[in-house]
Amino acid sequence: MSAQVIEAPKQHISLKKVLSPIHIWGLGVGIVLVGEYMGWNFSVAKGGALGSLIACWVIGLLYTCVAMIDSEVTSTVAAAGGQYTQAKHIIGPLMAFNVALYLVLAYTMLEAADATVFGDLLQEVAGNFGVANLDPRPFAFLCIMFLAWLNYRGVFITLTFNFVITAFAFVAIILVFFGVAPWSPGVVLHHADLIHGLPYGWIGIIAAFQFGMWYYLGIEGTCQAAEECRSAARSIPLGTMSGMITLVIAASLTWYICSGLLPWEYLGQATTPLYDAARVTNSTWMQVVMFVATVFSNLASANGCINDASRAWFSLSRDRYMPPVFGAVHPRYRTPYRSVLFLIPIAVSFAFTNLLDQIITFSILSGLLGYTFMSINMMRFRRLWPLGSIHRGYIHPFHPLPAVMLFLLCTTVYFATYLGYGSQLLAIMAFFIIASLWFSLHRYKFVKRGDQFTMPWPRPKGY
Amino acid sequence: MRLVPDRQHRGGMAKNHYVPKVQSGFGQFIDCVLILVLVYASLYAPLLMQANSGSSAASSSEKPTWQSLKQNSFEAGQWQKLGYTPEQAQPIIETRFEYSISWPVLGLTAAVIIGYYLFMLKVSDKEYREVIREKFGDRP
Amino acid sequence: MGFWQIFSDLSWAVSVLMAVWMIYDTWRVQQEYDESFLMSSREGAEELSAKETDK
Repeated sequence: MSAQVIEAPKQHISLKKVLSPIHIWGLGVGIVLVGEYMGWNFSVAKGGALGSLIACWVIGLLYTCVAMIDSEVTSTVAAAGGQYTQAKHIIGPLMAFNVALYLVLAYTMLEAADATVFGDLLQEVAGNFGVANLDPRPFAFLCIMFLAWLNYRGVFITLTFNFVITAFAFVAIILVFFGVAPWSPGVVLHHADLIHGLPYGWIGIIAAFQFGMWYYLGIEGTCQAAEECRSAARSIPLGTMSGMITLVIAASLTWYICSGLLPWEYLGQATTPLYDAARVTNSTWMQVVMFVATVFSNLASANGCINDASRAWFSLSRDRYMPPVFGAVHPRYRTPYRSVLFLIPIAVSFAFTNLLDQIITFSILSGLLGYTFMSINMMRFRRLWPLGSIHRGYIHPFHPLPAVMLFLLCTTVYFATYLGYGSQLLAIMAFFIIASLWFSLHRYKFVKRGDQFTMPWPRPKGY
Repeated sequence: MRLVPDRQHRGGMAKNHYVPKVQSGFGQFIDCVLILVLVYASLYAPLLMQANSGSSAASSSEKPTWQSLKQNSFEAGQWQKLGYTPEQAQPIIETRFEYSISWPVLGLTAAVIIGYYLFMLKVSDKEYREVIREKFGDRP
Repeated sequence: MGFWQIFSDLSWAVSVLMAVWMIYDTWRVQQEYDESFLMSSREGAEELSAKETDK
C-alpha cells in the first residue's frame, strides 16, 4: 500500500456509529453464553460439582475485575480494537501487538470451535432421523459464511440479530430453571443424591478454574465495538456490567440445573450438558427449548467473534502493525470489510483441522494472557494519567484492589492450565515469544511512531 | 532508522520524525502467511510432543454393576435415561485425573511466562518513549 | 437423494454464493472508490473530540 495519505484527506470515512447498550449486551453475552451450553462442565470433571461451583464464583470475581477495569479504560479510549488500542496508548507498541494477536486468535479460534459444534449438532439431528455419519462440514462452513456475510453487510443488523438470539438463549435457561421446580428439591432436582463433596480435594478446585473461565470467556469483547457506539462512554460500561450480571445469573442457574439432574462423572464429559439435563426430565418442551437455545448460543458466539476479531485485525492494520490493506472501511456498509473477508479462510481452516481441543486451549490461554495485561494496564493507566487529568466516562471503585486481585487470579489460572495442559501452555508461549521477536526486529519498521498515539490526552506523567 | 526533519514541531523541541519503510504487496502477503504458519506450528507442536491431559481409567475385568461403580439408585436411573449401561458408563466413571506437579517443569513454565512479560514490557517501554517523543516533543 | 443430502449440498452452494458475492463486492468497491478514501478512517478520535467540545 504505497498510496498512504500524507496529509489528512478532506473526506473521512468511519465505522458506522449506530450501536446502543442492548447491542453491547448482545455482543458481550452472545460470545460467552455458549460456554453455559457447553464447555463449563469440563470443570466438573476436574474438581467435582462443588469444585465447579467454587470455580464459577471465583472466576466470576476475576471477570468482575475485568469488566470494571475494562469499563473505565474503554469509556476513555473509545476505539475499535479495544484492549489493543488501550495497550498502544498505555504500555507500548510490542504489548499492543501481542494483545491484538490474543484478540484475533482467541476470537477466530472460538468462532471455528462454535462452527464445528454447530455442524456436529446438525449431524446429531440427522442421526436421530436415521441418517448416520452425515458430513458436518457443510453446516460449519455455512455457519461461518452466513455470519461473515452478515458482518460484512453492517454492524447494526449483525448485533441486532445477536441480541435476539442471545436473549432467547438466556431466557431459555430461566424457563428451564423454573421448569425443573427448584422450590421442591427431591422432585425433579436431586442435589443430595448427586453431589459427593470434592473428589480431588483442593487441587481439583484450582484445576477447575481453567474451565471455569468458560462461564464468562469473551465478555471483554464488548469494547471492540467502542468506535461504533452512539455513545461509547455510556453504552460500553452499561452493556458490559449488565452483561456480567446476566452471566453470573446464567452460570449459577446452569450449574444448579445440571448438577441436580446429572451424575457428576457424566456431566464432566458431556458435550451439551444443558440439553442432556433437559433430556432426563422427560419433558418435550424443555428438550426442544434447550436444543434451539444451544444452536442459537453457538451462532451468537460465532457471530460476536467474527465482529470482534475483524475489529481487532482492522485496528492492527490501520496502524500498519499488519498489512495496511485491511484497514479499509466499506463506503456503503461502513464495516471493516476486508478484515471480515480475510479472516474467513483462517476460521474455516481452523474448523476443518480436527484440532478442537488445541484450538480451545489456545483460545482460553490467549484470553488469560489478555487479562494479565489488563491488570498491568490499569496500574499504569492511573499512574500515567491520574484521576482528573483526563475525562473518564466511568471510574471504577476500590483501585488498585481489582487490578491486584485480577493479577493474582490470573496467576492461579496459569497454574491450573499447567496442571491440565502443561505442554500446550509452553507451545503457546513459544508462539507469542517468536511473534514478539518477529514484530520487534522486522515488522515494527513499517509503523509510524508518533501517529500511533491518537487520543486527545496530555503527555503521560513521567515520560 | 531513517529520519527526516519534523514538519510540525512543537515549540521547536522535536527534531526528527521516523519515516517508516514502505512494504511491497508481496512482503505484506509473506508476513500474513508467516504468522499463520507460526499459529499452526504451535497448535500441532503439543500433538507431536505426545501431550496428554493426564487422565487414566482403572480397568477391571469383572462385569460392572451400578453398585460396583458406586452409583446410588437415583444416579443409576439417570444414567439409564441417558442411554447408558454399566459397561458403557464404566470408563467414564472410572476416569481419574492425576494432578502431579513436576517442580522443574513448573519452574520452567513460570520462568517462560515471567520472562515473556518482562521482555515485552521492557521493549514496549523503549518503543513507547519514542512514540511519546514524536507526539509531544522532547521532554520539557 | 434424501432431505439431508439436499440440505448438505444446499449449504455448500449457499456458502459459496455468499463468498463469491463478498469477493465481487470487494472488487467493485476497489474499482469505484479511491484507495486513500477507503483507508481514511481515524481511530476513535472523532467522538472523543466531539465529547470534549460538548462538555
